Amino acid sequence: MSGRRSRSRQSSGTSRISEDQINELIIKLQQLLPELRDSRRSDKVSAARVLQETCNYIRNLHREVDDLSERLSELLANTDTAQAALIRSLLTQ
Amino acid sequence: MASPDKPINTDVPEKNAFALHFLQTLSNLRTQNPFNSPNKTNDRVTKIKKAAYVSMARAAGGTNRLWSRALLRRAAKEDNKIVRLRKKRVTWQRRRRNQRAPEVERLRKLVPGGGGMETSKLMEETAHYIKCLCMQVKVMQCLVDGLSPK
Repeated sequence: MSGRRSRSRQSSGTSRISEDQINELIIKLQQLLPELRDSRRSDKVSAARVLQETCNYIRNLHREVDDLSERLSELLANTDTAQAALIRSLLTQ
Repeated sequence: MASPDKPINTDVPEKNAFALHFLQTLSNLRTQNPFNSPNKTNDRVTKIKKAAYVSMARAAGGTNRLWSRALLRRAAKEDNKIVRLRKKRVTWQRRRRNQRAPEVERLRKLVPGGGGMETSKLMEETAHYIKCLCMQVKVMQCLVDGLSPK
């Protein structure tokens, strides 16, 4: 299917990526992480550390989504006018 | 914040598109089975969670992204209840990858569709995935705040 096709194309197309490109990607990732975002000037963070923190951060975000889903479920069960409230909250965000 | 550099596509995920799709799915869920039925709480939470992820994947460009495509496909599979176990092919390339960087392998498991990606692509997709997750959390928090009794 289309997914498989594009995957094979992708692996054959860019078989070699340079160290520089990897480093650049690591830095981009680092800038997304609250833990490491500010340490960028003082000392260089290892790639392994960045990847580790990335995993932790994603796990935290997943957990937050879990919690928020639970709270939403409770709130929606308890409000009669949930529909209206939802729209209201959408408009005021 | 977005930079014009080539390697990483830094387009910010569409917040409103996510919110709209999520709300639509939520209201569909409500009409299908009313939320105030006391049992099936866990079921409901699971459905809301799934709605959130699917909406995020749709807002993020549907099938244009590798991770969103993987996520949507997985969701569609769950809906059809056809759960096929995929054989894990361990090619020598993958085995070598495993030996090289355990951190990368861990990341692979967290990003939808990460198993089939090249390392550079994986990192690019991860950056986008993180941005989308942050946006998702923000919007859901807004909804929770808006619905909470004042």
